[in-house]
Amino acid sequence: MKSIRRTQSVITLFLLVFIGGMALLVYKINKEAPFYMMHSDNHQLGKVYDRNGDVLFDAAGTGYDENHFLDVGNLIGDDKGQMENTLVAQNIDKLNNYSFSEGLVKEGGKAAIYTTLDHAANRAVYNAYMGAKGCTVAYNYKTGELLVCTSLPSIDVTKGYANIGELESGTLWSKAMYGTVPGSTQKVSTVISALEIMGPDRLFSKTYNCSGQYMNRSGKPIDCHQSYGHGDQNIQQAVENSCNPFFAQLVEDPDLPLGRLKDMYRKLGYAVNDDKPQYIDIDGIQCEKASTTLTDSYDFNTQWGCIGQGDTLVSPIQLMMWQSAIANGTGKMTMPHLIDHVTDVYGNTTETAKTKESAQLFTPDTAETVKRILLTNGSNHYTGSISGYVLGIKSGTAQVKEGAEENALLVGFVSDERNPIAFCVVLENKYSTPVYAEQIVKTLLDSLCS
Amino acid sequence: MSNPFSYIFSCLFVLIAHAGMLVNVFFNGKEVDTKEFVILCAAVLGLDIIYYFVMLFYKQHTYTVDFMLLLVLNMSVIFQSCFGGVHLSMKHYITCIVSLIASRVGYHLVRDHRWIQSKKKYVWVCIGIMMGVIVLFTGSRSMWIDLGFMTIQPSEFIKPLLVIACATSITEQQNKHKFLQFNIVWENIILFGITAAVCLLQWWCRDLGSIPTFAAIYAAGFLLRICYPKAKFSNKTLIGAGVAVLIAAGIGIYLAPDYVRARLFVNIWDDTTGNGYQQSQALIAIAEGGWLGKGPSNGFLHEVFAYESDIVFATICEEWGLVIALMTVVVILLIAASPLINPPLSYFHGTLCAGVCAAFTVQMALNIFGSCNLIPFTGVTIPFISMGGSSMATSGIMAGMLTAAQNPVFAKMKSAKPKKQKKVTGGQPA
Repeated sequence: MKSIRRTQSVITLFLLVFIGGMALLVYKINKEAPFYMMHSDNHQLGKVYDRNGDVLFDAAGTGYDENHFLDVGNLIGDDKGQMENTLVAQNIDKLNNYSFSEGLVKEGGKAAIYTTLDHAANRAVYNAYMGAKGCTVAYNYKTGELLVCTSLPSIDVTKGYANIGELESGTLWSKAMYGTVPGSTQKVSTVISALEIMGPDRLFSKTYNCSGQYMNRSGKPIDCHQSYGHGDQNIQQAVENSCNPFFAQLVEDPDLPLGRLKDMYRKLGYAVNDDKPQYIDIDGIQCEKASTTLTDSYDFNTQWGCIGQGDTLVSPIQLMMWQSAIANGTGKMTMPHLIDHVTDVYGNTTETAKTKESAQLFTPDTAETVKRILLTNGSNHYTGSISGYVLGIKSGTAQVKEGAEENALLVGFVSDERNPIAFCVVLENKYSTPVYAEQIVKTLLDSLCS
Repeated sequence: MSNPFSYIFSCLFVLIAHAGMLVNVFFNGKEVDTKEFVILCAAVLGLDIIYYFVMLFYKQHTYTVDFMLLLVLNMSVIFQSCFGGVHLSMKHYITCIVSLIASRVGYHLVRDHRWIQSKKKYVWVCIGIMMGVIVLFTGSRSMWIDLGFMTIQPSEFIKPLLVIACATSITEQQNKHKFLQFNIVWENIILFGITAAVCLLQWWCRDLGSIPTFAAIYAAGFLLRICYPKAKFSNKTLIGAGVAVLIAAGIGIYLAPDYVRARLFVNIWDDTTGNGYQQSQALIAIAEGGWLGKGPSNGFLHEVFAYESDIVFATICEEWGLVIALMTVVVILLIAASPLINPPLSYFHGTLCAGVCAAFTVQMALNIFGSCNLIPFTGVTIPFISMGGSSMATSGIMAGMLTAAQNPVFAKMKSAKPKKQKKVTGGQPA
């Protein structure tokens, strides 16, 4: 009998191994079936909504006003595979109206993504560009909710891609996610770095002269936008005047050693020189951070980079996020998110957004000092053009296309507990359009704060 | 001895199960043609009834395997008859009848262990003949013999022969001979040589998928050899065997042709139109089917190559749902597990059962897990379910062996014994 029992043991062994494998298979199928289903021609996608229930994506795409989706086309995207770095493309599995037990739900499936976006405000900002190009991004710097993110030109995804070859460059991606020349908005980073390295007392004690052009120590001219100069200035005045010679001399100052400046830039998120580029993940959407070249304190390109021209590139999202670290007074950025919550095919909430902060970029003292500088700049220069708001703000003019065009930038924040909004506006080729960046900011804030 | 009259309820169960499936076909099938449906019903239910009456001529201890076999074979007839539209799959129906007949052949072949053990050299010769047939008649390193009206896969017939070879040599496991300074059991050497030769031949004719099945049959026999009654269980032997298997697998992968390695390491979702096509389509079909399926003949997978054989599990899942597909697997498992319910009555028959169980489970694992991307896709058949005459016939033979193991014939003992005890005593001591 023992021999027979042994044969039965061997039979049991084979059966148990097989049954174990089957159990694993059933678990795997149950878990991965929605993924398999996304590769099926029969998959059924749910919708994407804004914070007020307005539809931002509907695979059916019918029954909506003309160009309903235009202002969010290159941010929300679709399932056609033409725009990969978009919300739908990166989260398409969350819209799958399918479950293994229910099968494909063609009618009444409740899989959906509820975003933090305010479609009405987004549309208002889009219209405020009046056909000009650029992008605007704004978020709640307390919670991280992305409220507005529009990029022009854009595309109405419901109209398809038949004319894809004729689309203007930049139509199929949200420019807010990609690096652009920051212009003088870069000076905010340089001020933060100088404060961290020198301390506020020493920085505020320094004055440099601007005569309209500064010949740097390597013999290259740094021009100021005001050709007759600003005279002697301290840091507050230099920020308000956006004076290039001041910042060139600051970079040359032995109290701001290049090594420490590089370290500080890296801490802020720059890829310095040959560093590996870094990205911010916003619900699957990859957003570039910043990059610059810093080789020698006396070198023209290094100084030009710290002023915000030349090789320096920063994404508008990153510029906005630095404003949150200043506005919050903590030195930590509030990380933006676009998805508020997600529901499955039954309508059950499966994900809910949480507010997250970055690591400490700079001290709270530095944050408070920069905040004061920017608020002073706002109250001195923008109360007329952007009335009704207590703003910390910094402008920039970015030379692009070898200096053939100039883009206008405005970065800032609203100092208001009820409307904690940080923003970045980019207006491309500002001399080709009657629109001003300040108008766009005004429209943005009026839409969000009304 | 029981008689099949006592299995009337088993027969009714089989009839009801098939009738239930046919009702599902009628109500949920796609554009069911009444005439075709009636033919299908007549074929399935008719075979159930006829088989029951045929079994009346067999006096056995148990009929469990017979009715399970009938259950699963007609289930597969219904499945196969609904792929792409409801109409009796005559080819599969005939192979199922062949399988039932083959099970009787297998039953008679091994029922008397003394007879088959006395013929074991003929078994080796048969394996040799089959290998010769593969080399000579399958064309350029192929696995099929094309007879024009049908194709035969001779390697399939080696499977039951190898099971018998393992079982017939088990009695010689302690018959050691001194050779140089080694104690050698010639039967073990011969058996290993046969298995190695078969595996190498399969490699040569590019039927790599069946190598694990042969290896599993041998492994079952090997396990029973190293655990013989008075042996001290040798961890060293077991570890050594495991290492040898791993080395052999490593060498196999290293020497495998490019197309095989591409299949081994393919990410099917990155190659849904190439090497990952069948598996990705199979998984999509399973997902679309869900637990309860889309309904008989409502699937799309019948448009994919080998839907009725290599990826048949997914095709069933799509149309009938994962629940029914799993139940089908359970029925086959119950056939393989029947020796646990009705214990084999000799060590020979126990070894036979272990070999058959190894063959069935490994073939099912290769097919189901391979088509579902749990392991590399090899393209072997599921016993009794996949379409293919050679596979059905050999599976039937092996099912018959299981039946025989539970209904053995033992030779009369030399010593006089009461007549009543003749049927249940004697044979090889367990």
